[in-house]
Amino acid sequence: MRNASDPTSDSTSDPTSDSTSDPTSDPTVRTDAGSRGRAVLLAKGIGLLVLAAAVLSFPSLAPDAFILSVGVVIMSYAVLATSWNFVGGFTGYISLGHAAYSGLGAYATALLVIHTSLNPWVAMLLGGLLVAALAVPIGIASLRVRGASFVIVSIAMVLILLLVFQSWGEVTGGSNGLRVPRPFDESVLRPEQHERFFYLHVALLAVALLTWWAIDRSRFGTGLKAIREDEDKAQSLGVPTFNYKLVAFIVSAFFTALGGGMYALWFGFLDPIFQFSILVGSYMVLMSLLGGIRSLFGPLLGAVIVGYAVEFFKNQYGDTQFHLVAMGLLLGIVVLFMPDGIIPALSSLINRFSPQAASIREVSAGELAEQRRAAASEGKDLDATEAEPTDSLPEGAKR
Amino acid sequence: MTESAGSTATDTRIGLATEGLTKRYGGVTAVDGASVQFHHGKVNALIGPNGSGKTTFFNCVTGMIKPDSGRATYLGDDITGKASHRIARAGIGRSFQLCRIFPRMTVMENMLVAVRSTSLRHVLAPSRSAGELDRARELLARVGIDHLENSEARDISYGQQKLLELAGVLMADPETIMLDEPAGGVNPALIDRIASLVRDLNAEGKTFLIVEHNMELVMSLSDHVVVFDRGRQICEGPPSVVQNDPRVLEAYLGI
Ligand SMILES: Nc1ncnc2c1ncn2[C@@H]1O[C@H](COP(=O)(O)OP(=O)(O)O)[C@@H](O)[C@H]1O
Ligand SMILES: [Mg+2]
Repeated sequence: MRNASDPTSDSTSDPTSDSTSDPTSDPTVRTDAGSRGRAVLLAKGIGLLVLAAAVLSFPSLAPDAFILSVGVVIMSYAVLATSWNFVGGFTGYISLGHAAYSGLGAYATALLVIHTSLNPWVAMLLGGLLVAALAVPIGIASLRVRGASFVIVSIAMVLILLLVFQSWGEVTGGSNGLRVPRPFDESVLRPEQHERFFYLHVALLAVALLTWWAIDRSRFGTGLKAIREDEDKAQSLGVPTFNYKLVAFIVSAFFTALGGGMYALWFGFLDPIFQFSILVGSYMVLMSLLGGIRSLFGPLLGAVIVGYAVEFFKNQYGDTQFHLVAMGLLLGIVVLFMPDGIIPALSSLINRFSPQAASIREVSAGELAEQRRAAASEGKDLDATEAEPTDSLPEGAKR
Repeated sequence: MTESAGSTATDTRIGLATEGLTKRYGGVTAVDGASVQFHHGKVNALIGPNGSGKTTFFNCVTGMIKPDSGRATYLGDDITGKASHRIARAGIGRSFQLCRIFPRMTVMENMLVAVRSTSLRHVLAPSRSAGELDRARELLARVGIDHLENSEARDISYGQQKLLELAGVLMADPETIMLDEPAGGVNPALIDRIASLVRDLNAEGKTFLIVEHNMELVMSLSDHVVVFDRGRQICEGPPSVVQNDPRVLEAYLGI
């Protein structure tokens, strides 16, 4: 419902105006914003509880150790995708080489456990911090370039690490792999191991999600999202864009490394070809895009779907390249039909069917009539318009 | 720079100024040794034919691009080649010729981007604090689009986007505001609204530097006019004088 007296609301320059002239947004329906806000909050709280209950009850519902291990893999992917989303989701810088940080985290944890007497969990944390420190120079170098150049630099990074870890055999075990001692002793059987690691991954995921949420609502988060939309414009408003990107990058690398370290302790064996793999990085991107990079739970949802699909295809058709084809198709479908991912697509669907949500402004019909009268008495030519429907997307905008 | 200001007029302080500012694009010299002084506290206009380098001049001065040579100063401080966020925090805000907003953020989120301090407390504070929201709503009401607070910025009309861009710049509380063609592509009623906003804000102490093609608007609004041709100043002065300067007529008519 656009205000007819508003000189700015020239309908010719607004191709999307009919989206707001939905009959349900009749101005006479004055919604009580306070009670609606509380209802939304309540719905969110309930949703969160249901989600937590579903995730936490998984181990007791899983019929066997194999399914349980699939659950651990999916949670590991959820940690990695959520960590990736600190850079990809907030700033829009798409890194295809994030396996560099999960791989480094995995090897750092493993080598610390093997060569020092550190507690494995302390080793994992230290590994995360080491990778975060390493992310400083890497970020300074790679965040100077945007778009495709950044993607290529991120891929180069993981390929370099693959070569280094393969050829540096006396430390990393090279292509023979590296055996990682288990954090729990022999008396803990495999299903029990899986169960513990499932909960440990969930705990790590919860910390990552909480951090993402805290950033999302901060001024820092608003700045990062502005960078995603139009970096130069954000900078012209005083946002120290480079430092913002760098901090997001370091936080992302830190959580990705913790995810890698935890995986190493669970799986117990590392091979550079799987640790520093473009495929792992691509999964993080695909999962996040599928669920929705602007949504807190987008990467988690994507990880559940993609992780399950990958394991399903591997189980059904053996370790062929078929699952790659399926993933490629899935990516194509997402990009074409749900460019924002599943969560935004779903929530706009819900909004369409909810009577209140379509009302974007709260002006009573009386106020509208009042404004019309005021405009009429000023005698303004309201239909006069010179506006061309100029493309409002600046060249710098990333999407 | 500031000494020479005193000699021209007693109440004129030089705000933004450049000396020999030059920017080349390949064979094209977009800004060609521009030496310009703008009056602090006033409404300044920068006019000139299309392609005379006004936008490039804006970009050089606000740190969006680095000039090849020359100097830019603001209230006597050297700002040449500084990063644009530093220039923004030195007190210079700007709009863009093709209005730039954050299309996939709401109108309110657009308002909350501006950063006034880089202290960790300011940066990590919730962006939707009551104080910030109030400030944002006040400015949105001032430009007349407060009813669109929750709309996505890409869904509002071009005119409304221009107002949003201006309000977003004001959130940073700049003392100098540079507008690149504020009346470009908007309807006459909106031009009036923008003009009265500029007048009011100027009365409250804000300095303006406006690039504009609408001569009627320039002449009625500005205290000081600088005319550009081929990347440099060819003439300056009060609107009534500039209007009748033969060099200006030649630049506009005789090519
Ligand atoms: N990014 C660019 N690359 C190449 N040439 C440019 C670029 N930006 C501006 N120019 C050229 O510089 C000159 C001045 O342009 P501009 O500053 O946009 O002028 P104005 O804003 O006064 O119309 C023009 O000849 C234009 O073609
Ligand atoms: Mg221009």
